[in-house]
Amino acid sequence: METQSDAKSSRRSFLKKTAIVGAASAVAAGAAITGASLSGKKSGLPGVLKRVTSKVFHSKEAKEKAIPTFCGMCGPSAGCGIYAIVKNGKFVGVEGMKELPLNRGRLCSKAHAAPQWVYSEQRLKYPLRRIGEKGEGKFERISWDEALDTIANKLKEQKEKYGPESLAVLSPAHRTYSPYMYRFLVAHGSPNYGHSGICAMQRAFAYAYTLGTSPRADISKTKLIMIWGKQPVYAGSSKGGVRELLEAKERGAKIVAIKPTMEPDVALADVWVPVRPGTDAALALAMIHVIIGEHLYDAKFVEEWTHGFPELVKHVRQYTPEWAEPITGVKADQIRSVARLYATTKPACIEDGNGLEHAPSCNDTIRSLAILRAITGNLDIPGGDLLAAGKPEGGRKSFTLRERYTQEWIDKLVWPEFPRAFQPMNEGTSSAYYGIFESILTEKPYPVRAIIAPGTQPTVTTRGTSRVIEALKKLDFYVVVDVSRTADMNYADIVIPVASMYEIDHPFESGEGWIMARNKVIEPLGDYKSDYEFWIDLGVRMGYGKDFWHGSIDQCMKELLVPFNLTMEELRSHPTGVATGKKGPPAYKKYAQVFATRSTRLNGAPLLPQGKVAIYNTTFEENGFNPLPQWVEPPESPTATPELLNRYPLVFSDFHTSKVYNAGWLRHVPYLREIMTDPTVQIHPETAEARGIVNGDWVIVESPYNSLRLKAEVNRGIRKDTVMALHGWWQGCKELKKEDSALLAGGANVNSMYNTGKKAWDPLVTALSSQTLVQVRKA
Amino acid sequence: MAKQLGFYLSSRRCVQCHSCQVACKAVHGVELGPTWRKVLNYWEGDFPNVANRTISISCFHCAKPACVEICPAGAITKRAEDGVVVVDRNECVGCRSCEQACPYGAPQFGADGKMQKCDLCLERRAEGKQPACVATCPGEALAFGELADLEQLAAKKHAHRLTGKTEPIAFVALVQHKGVAADNIDPFLHVLKPTESGRQ
Repeated sequence: METQSDAKSSRRSFLKKTAIVGAASAVAAGAAITGASLSGKKSGLPGVLKRVTSKVFHSKEAKEKAIPTFCGMCGPSAGCGIYAIVKNGKFVGVEGMKELPLNRGRLCSKAHAAPQWVYSEQRLKYPLRRIGEKGEGKFERISWDEALDTIANKLKEQKEKYGPESLAVLSPAHRTYSPYMYRFLVAHGSPNYGHSGICAMQRAFAYAYTLGTSPRADISKTKLIMIWGKQPVYAGSSKGGVRELLEAKERGAKIVAIKPTMEPDVALADVWVPVRPGTDAALALAMIHVIIGEHLYDAKFVEEWTHGFPELVKHVRQYTPEWAEPITGVKADQIRSVARLYATTKPACIEDGNGLEHAPSCNDTIRSLAILRAITGNLDIPGGDLLAAGKPEGGRKSFTLRERYTQEWIDKLVWPEFPRAFQPMNEGTSSAYYGIFESILTEKPYPVRAIIAPGTQPTVTTRGTSRVIEALKKLDFYVVVDVSRTADMNYADIVIPVASMYEIDHPFESGEGWIMARNKVIEPLGDYKSDYEFWIDLGVRMGYGKDFWHGSIDQCMKELLVPFNLTMEELRSHPTGVATGKKGPPAYKKYAQVFATRSTRLNGAPLLPQGKVAIYNTTFEENGFNPLPQWVEPPESPTATPELLNRYPLVFSDFHTSKVYNAGWLRHVPYLREIMTDPTVQIHPETAEARGIVNGDWVIVESPYNSLRLKAEVNRGIRKDTVMALHGWWQGCKELKKEDSALLAGGANVNSMYNTGKKAWDPLVTALSSQTLVQVRKA
Repeated sequence: MAKQLGFYLSSRRCVQCHSCQVACKAVHGVELGPTWRKVLNYWEGDFPNVANRTISISCFHCAKPACVEICPAGAITKRAEDGVVVVDRNECVGCRSCEQACPYGAPQFGADGKMQKCDLCLERRAEGKQPACVATCPGEALAFGELADLEQLAAKKHAHRLTGKTEPIAFVALVQHKGVAADNIDPFLHVLKPTESGRQ
């Protein structure tokens, strides 16, 4: 290793030159000179070597190039800016881009492992057609033309025979190719965008119908941050959230963390409320009880800007802290003290996350959190929870062709994610991801006949793995679209290999106040198209060319750039991006405007009929749902099913995020797998000891639905009655001699562990429970 | 006094993201197994009054490096120009004496049996860049610089020079807690022992 040897190596390296090359053209490279001056804000740390602006060369001798682009390890989205380092044509590393306001040069662990991901032997290389039985894993190579024609012919045939709604497209996490998927579905005529029901939209729904929009915690000016069901560290550590949180802490803001285990954000907290998984609604209702009972609410705001407070007062009398204690596992005293702390520290904000979207009480939890913010007068004030005014959320409205939706369209939804009366939501019409698989098995109301799954793996993404596998076996036609092999590609009829975001030069990405082109780092390593091109090309083959720029990604980009008043060439001449729009000083207390926001439903009905915070929700009531938030037990819990405790004495739930992985991805990347090598279950030392388990033992975790084989991670920072595991394990890592693990019994796939019956669902927003009861024993 | 470079490590701002660790490995092309920079977690108390502290450590480029002293082959040296402790892998005989001598677990051994460790990013610094770990840290928990500047920074941040007989060049900003001195990272170092329970 050269760097290890001696001082000579450092002298040699002086001679090296780092070239920063923007776009491929010399003109763009010229512009890169200004773009690349590393003018990031001063670190304020003395003694740190002054940042020396890298001399910009555009010479043929330069062996190393630093190509400005976006990191592609989570997303694709308007994520962190990077300089991708290319040596002798090979992508070898990344450097954070200081110019990009989002990450200011900082990056997470995943970003640095990108070359291992790109060059992994687990990459798909060319389009495949299944030649063996489903699940067997026998494929043959086919051309892109064959692959696209096969898909198009099948979809045309099915559309003719069963109607366009027989096609469902499964949603990955929100990606910048998601709108292309919507566009394709609309062009095709199917409403069945399969949204996972565990992330973001459930919160967006409850907030829209309670507050008119989703609140955003103003951490930069607050005195108290209540982190609730969120992991602000793992969920994009380099995207500014960590920085904001640390700055708030140093400023003296209090942090309250509400979650079952001690994660790094809890380590920063002043108060930890170790709530039992899935019981957040009970906790929130008891806090409302305390705040009302002790008159700690903002009477003026309540009077002027809320609807139904008197009904709430009556309704929450039943939800005393003593009532909540056995349900939540949080002492009544602590519930009281946290409620008082939150209500009497002003301004205070709530930073919530998708940990709250995994329970049958999901919608009522979120509504309760909205009510907490409202009655304490923290809405849209500096340091409180900000409300964005204006048009309904969603953006790129016309890009998804949503203006074509009709009532008939909505009636055709196979398993509406939100009740039909509330469709379409912000992003478009949607069916519950898991419900699509049930429709295949039950043929009710009709069976979905074809599924396209881009960047998503139903066998590890949604609950009820055994049902999902059964459905995949029965499904007529399954298409997997991905960068690397997936957990369920062996059930696919056609596998589409897409380029990683380091191998393409589109799309540009626009985040908050920033727009930047994506640059190609290396030539594609296989026979790839991009995700974007796949949808455009498939659209053309289907005969929807008019909606898909007749197959031209350049035309597509051109159209998308119109609102920015930029051409692609102009954008590329600024390799590190351009600031968009000038931000004026923030406006606060925009209540009249925000509370008048209209919904995205076909009739455009106002979200809040009274023009006030909907504490008592007349819209829900009219549609047959409870107007006030109430407590709903998870399908299994110590208080819901005490009869199960003999056999299954511990509560089980899972984490969605981790420090090195994205959901069900990246386990095959060696530098990341080294950090979290085996699937673990976190267990308290006493709970472990009672079972003769020591740290690192392999254990069997058994629920009424399945059992997993996990490694015990003895952890003092977890409730004694609860064990938790990480979501998304299936993939092996050859370099570390780790094989794939089973999707069902004996594996590590948490989604196989849960109830998927009626009791597991939130009746309004189709959130699916991720709590159950288990026993743990040594393997 | 000769120039001496070292690290500033804030436990208060470390959020266990492991970015420093992976950045280090990626930049130096470190093989699987050896880890030049590590993120150590330390637990105290018990549920629900439990605390979890974290710190990211690598070689501290000590003023009196035990590794240099013990190396029978003379393969490890402390550079006069900046105080960085470097190993000449051509000279290393793989006896692992340094591994035993270093209190901080800095010397690492890979497949070739020779010592490797943090060189404070000699190459990157020659190009005017910060060490990879410092540059990437989302929490800005890491800094590096000359001893005198680190002292100033430490004073400002109420951080302390790490004590130890090898005189490590490291300033630590610890979260103050019972029974642990502000200049002592021993509780973290227990995690280095493989038998210690704790999270990955």
